[in-house]
Amino acid sequence: MMGPTINSKRVLVVARRVVRQLKRDRRTIGLITFAPVFLMILFGYALSGEMSGINLGVVDLGGQDALRVHLQAVDDFDLLHLGSESDAERLIVEGRLHGAVVIRGEVVRVLLDGSSPQITASVMTEVKNGLLPRKGLQNGEGRGAGGELGAVKGGWLGGDGSVGRVSGPGSLGSDGDVGTSSGPGEYSDVMAVPEIVQRYVRGYDLEMMDSVGPAVLGLVVFFFTFITAAISFLRERTQGSLEKFMVSPLSRPEMVAGYLLGFSLFALLQSATTLLVVVLAFGVPMEGNPLTAFGVIILLGAGGLVLGVFLSNFAKTEFQVVQFIPIVILPQVVLSGVWWPIESIPAFLQPISYALPLTYSSDALRAVMLRGAGVSEILVPDLLFLVGFFVIAFGAATLMLKREVG
Amino acid sequence: MKGEVVPAADPSLDYSIVAQGLMKSFGKLKVLNDLSVRIPRGTTYCLLGPNGSGKTTFIRAVAGLLRLDGGDLSVLGEPVHSVNRIYPRIGYMTQHKALYPDLTLRENMEFYAGLYGIDGRERDERISELLEMVDLADHIDRITGALSGGMYQRLSLACTLIHDPDLLLLDEPTVGVDPILREAFWRFFDGLVERRVTILITTHLMDEAERCKTVGYMRAGRMLAEGSPEELKRLAGLRPILRLWVKDPQASASSLEARGFEVEVVGGVLHVRIEDHGRLKEILERIEPSDLRLVEPSLADAFLRLSEEGLR
Repeated sequence: MMGPTINSKRVLVVARRVVRQLKRDRRTIGLITFAPVFLMILFGYALSGEMSGINLGVVDLGGQDALRVHLQAVDDFDLLHLGSESDAERLIVEGRLHGAVVIRGEVVRVLLDGSSPQITASVMTEVKNGLLPRKGLQNGEGRGAGGELGAVKGGWLGGDGSVGRVSGPGSLGSDGDVGTSSGPGEYSDVMAVPEIVQRYVRGYDLEMMDSVGPAVLGLVVFFFTFITAAISFLRERTQGSLEKFMVSPLSRPEMVAGYLLGFSLFALLQSATTLLVVVLAFGVPMEGNPLTAFGVIILLGAGGLVLGVFLSNFAKTEFQVVQFIPIVILPQVVLSGVWWPIESIPAFLQPISYALPLTYSSDALRAVMLRGAGVSEILVPDLLFLVGFFVIAFGAATLMLKREVG
Repeated sequence: MKGEVVPAADPSLDYSIVAQGLMKSFGKLKVLNDLSVRIPRGTTYCLLGPNGSGKTTFIRAVAGLLRLDGGDLSVLGEPVHSVNRIYPRIGYMTQHKALYPDLTLRENMEFYAGLYGIDGRERDERISELLEMVDLADHIDRITGALSGGMYQRLSLACTLIHDPDLLLLDEPTVGVDPILREAFWRFFDGLVERRVTILITTHLMDEAERCKTVGYMRAGRMLAEGSPEELKRLAGLRPILRLWVKDPQASASSLEARGFEVEVVGGVLHVRIEDHGRLKEILERIEPSDLRLVEPSLADAFLRLSEEGLR
């Protein structure tokens, strides 16, 4: 129908209108700019890896002073002193304790409820730390909270290999008192851990937020541009303005481009604030050029926006737009390597991972922010895919805007 | 686009809209069923008909918003499949609230002006002129969403006229507009028609239809009747009704029916259809009413009559 030419004046007219509307819609501005910040702060704290409020019972029948002192010093534990192992077991069964440490001379028995791997790991780690000679805590060169996190990571390792039987330090000879493990997962005997030295080749130890942060940044921006564009374009359709300006010289590409331009101002604002929060408030490294990271986010946001415009064609109400979230957003949350490496995703699902824009933005943002990659290093495949995704979604959004709606 | 020269030999030049055998179905429902209509340039043409008769569908087809199942349609000499070429010459006012509620009146008008490439001083002048016409000049910086229904319709009309179109497609434009202002609208429309602008309008208001040069009466996707309001009334077979207030309506009715009059008793009042004014005296001689009134048929009566016939 309408030729492919784009009249930039008309694009600006549409963009200006979108900006004027959004400017007056304080709630949406708030949503666009502050909700991602709020989300990032939430993620930031939730992912900072600190485990606290673990209810731990202690049955102290004498011996192991160092362990006792150490457990008392751990902030994460709320200790409850008990008289017997059976009391501890009862309280664990009742759900009032996460676990208990039974100290009887050379034998240390750890009772665990086994429902949370993190709590198990945390308890096991601290028990080991309390039994280890001091030097065992040294984890190479940690950055900031890295030392502490290194300990948590050690806990993960210990959690995997904690079934076995070895006595406490300095008591290898007293074999008669070595406890026996009586049930997998529930009871563990504490073993002596050989000294492990970790060395981080990049010179820092990433916290969960450091590695997830750059990826979540993309997720948050994608989600908000997608949903706001889809809903506001749907509104154009339902209120009849789309039909009205279909009967005008405005072409479909101009319409979508105008929308994109108008929204991109707010997407810029959104990306900038979110990026600032991630880097400044949570200390996620920014090894590369911030503008490169910014560019990746903008490119992803533009893709989310045109995808929103495209999918709004398939919704009749705002309620239906919301139903796209599980289809469009959740697979990206789960499959695009935001939280765990794509390599850990089952092989038959991996092709989907590699078709999702967030996979590439996560990869690119991690490369730029954590490894200091430049544009040339993320060009293939990340930037190429994101550009391709944008172009295809733009084309689809334009084609779907049928003039003949009936 | 504007002022495009069309070869003078083209016979469709004299018609703004030429539709021949239009067909359109939504599922099993035939919304346009062999609809044919020719609307001359520089006229007011009113589409009248009950809900679901296909009026809005026809307007949307003319606007190129509908994929027709069959038939030929040309708009301002342009085949409908390429009607977008003449969009700069069409003004379309939908039934929907198509303006942006969160923009001011000025911003809404500036947006539509911008789409048609009108800017600068020309735009500002045009906006104040049109807002003056629809009596909204004092509200130019108000938020559109805060307008009353009638004010909204007036703004919507002003936006539709921003680019001075040659063909106006107005789908129920005066809903919620008070009679005084509606009168102003019509005077403005008459002025446009003098400048050879064509106005295609749908309405439920009979007094409004009566102001159009031609009324097309649609039913079930067909054009049942077409003509001037007077012609339509005649076509519906309507005659003046003499209303008579009498003591014993039933007895009087029987007596008149015996002499071949068509009589109906409505709420204790005799309604006698007058085929021939010469027989008025004959009626009055036979019964002595305490009061009487002669009622000329309205287009509404024609509308009802035609609807009943269409139902049969």
